[in-house]
Amino acid sequence: MKRRRKREAKTTRKLLYVVERDVRLFFQYKVMVIMRAIWFVSQIAFFGLIASRMVAVEDYFRYYVGGLSIMTLYSAAIFIGFDIYEEAEHGVFEYLLSLPVTRRQLVLGRSIGGGLRAFIYVGPLVCISLYVIGIVNPLNFLLALFSLFLFAFGVSGMSITLAVVIKSSDRFDILMGVLDALIVRLSTAMYPLSFVKEANPLYGWIANFNPVTFAADLFRWGAGIEAALSFENPLLPFLGIVMFFAFFTFLGIILYDKTIEGGGWR
Amino acid sequence: MPPIIRTENLTKRFGNFTAVDHLNLEVNEGEILGLLGPNGAGKTTTILMLATVIRPTEGTAYVGGYDVRKNPDKVRELLGVAFQEPKLLWVSTPWDVVNWHAKVCGLSTQERKRRVREVLEALDMWDYRHRSVHALSGGMRKRVEIAKVLIQRPKIAIVDEPTAQIDIVGKHKIWRMLRELREEGTTIILATNELYEADVLSDRVGIMHRGKLLVCDTPQKLKDSIVGGDIVEIQFESDPSPKIVEELEHFREVVKIIKTKASTLRLYLNRVEEVVPKIMSTLMKEGVAVSSIRMSEPSLDDVFAHYTGLTLEEAQKEGG
Ligand SMILES: Nc1ncnc2c1ncn2[C@@H]1O[C@H](COP(=O)(O)OP(=O)(O)OP(=O)(O)O)[C@@H](O)[C@H]1O
Ligand SMILES: [Mg+2]
Repeated sequence: MKRRRKREAKTTRKLLYVVERDVRLFFQYKVMVIMRAIWFVSQIAFFGLIASRMVAVEDYFRYYVGGLSIMTLYSAAIFIGFDIYEEAEHGVFEYLLSLPVTRRQLVLGRSIGGGLRAFIYVGPLVCISLYVIGIVNPLNFLLALFSLFLFAFGVSGMSITLAVVIKSSDRFDILMGVLDALIVRLSTAMYPLSFVKEANPLYGWIANFNPVTFAADLFRWGAGIEAALSFENPLLPFLGIVMFFAFFTFLGIILYDKTIEGGGWR
Repeated sequence: MPPIIRTENLTKRFGNFTAVDHLNLEVNEGEILGLLGPNGAGKTTTILMLATVIRPTEGTAYVGGYDVRKNPDKVRELLGVAFQEPKLLWVSTPWDVVNWHAKVCGLSTQERKRRVREVLEALDMWDYRHRSVHALSGGMRKRVEIAKVLIQRPKIAIVDEPTAQIDIVGKHKIWRMLRELREEGTTIILATNELYEADVLSDRVGIMHRGKLLVCDTPQKLKDSIVGGDIVEIQFESDPSPKIVEELEHFREVVKIIKTKASTLRLYLNRVEEVVPKIMSTLMKEGVAVSSIRMSEPSLDDVFAHYTGLTLEEAQKEGG
């Protein structure tokens, strides 16, 4: 019993080291981190302010800030996939695979690390912007934050899974561009679901099952941006995010366990 | 005692190219096994399979009793690898690299701090510990790479060309540290191109060529095993005539003669102590002036050349 607990403690610690590495790695890309922050702020200060004047949706500015937070979180969490290619190129990948860490610890640690770092990065930006636009509803907000947390893990797990499957950084790069266009544009990140449906029922159907929609809606609900929500019940998007997170983490673990090996990456 | 590592027809193919070909190798607990072989022989590929980084196409290996295919997690618990190409370029400092490695390998905080300092100091890297790895020279990067394993002190250490690019003082330090590691009970696999390194460090040496293991034994036995294992190098005052060479070839003990330089012959022969006087008297009879004669034991170079069929002379001939 005691020995088992000790082994579990050791396992957890190793997982945390893997997480720690990815988090620290991210913040070493100082230029990128600063550029993204500038991008985020200018989207709000320029695009959000200006566009909200011509959009008829009630309270669009706040709606947009909610969606933008999710988009930024998404793109920060996707970043881990690019790290994996960088590592494959420098052979660091092989080093990681040789460590006394199980594949599961490695992939789980990296999904968590990839999500956590995105969260740590985007969190303050989001909090500041919410403070500026004036939102107070602490309990809901905490739940919304938690779901963002899961969303970030899910995106990071998805990025890792795709990177491992595709194994070519050029193709991954292109796919990520396409995916970003589809998954973000066909969601409620930037416009309410009713408009998406109106444009094309198929778009609406996709947006309805899109994790970005779940995250954006839940976050708006938590932040008290109640206008134009897609779901009556916040439990639905919450469950959607949990499933998204579970699916890609699970898939990532299986793929890592079964197929991953060093060498032969481009 | 059963061998701590045993490969069973271990094979790796990349496409239809066979990098490692039905390798059967045994490593005993507590020894340093040198793995020698020309570029592309399959040393690194073998190591990566033992470390469970790549999967065998065929066959398998047992490391500490665990099958690399079935129990890779258990295998990795026993191993530490210093790679041929330093694996540091994830934007940080030597300090971060070795510290993180030590943590993941399960060293306690106290032990980690002590050993990190000890090893970095011994490798003259302590003063550079907070530099960016991008700013390190090639040799310094290799030092950081080997430091990881020296700090970790795994049950089995696999080091791939540990002293390539490192200056001679550094080489000797690393050799000493590897020997100390072995004395503490670590089994070491040393892949190298440097015959001297393999000779001074290894308890046994395996020679690989084109994915196959050609021989594996102690350096001394390998040297003794080659027929024509003794070497005599004769430097003449002027170019020896073909007739002289022919006469030398007539000695039963002489196995092979190679012209290394314009006026120098290298003779591979057996029973050197009996033949040399006979050779000398023949040369005197012919009135050939000899400026020097040198006898030597075969080195691992000769063993290597013998088994791989690759010789320095050939390289020089091809190059020239
Ligand atoms: N990922 C890969 N894809 C295709 N071929 C590979 C791959 N890795 C190695 N090879 C090939 O396998 C052969 C063995 O390579 P390996 O790196 O094991 O040689 P080595 O003995 O370590 O050589 P060196 O002394 O140069 O380090 C080489 O011909 C190499 O080109
Ligand atoms: Mg090699």
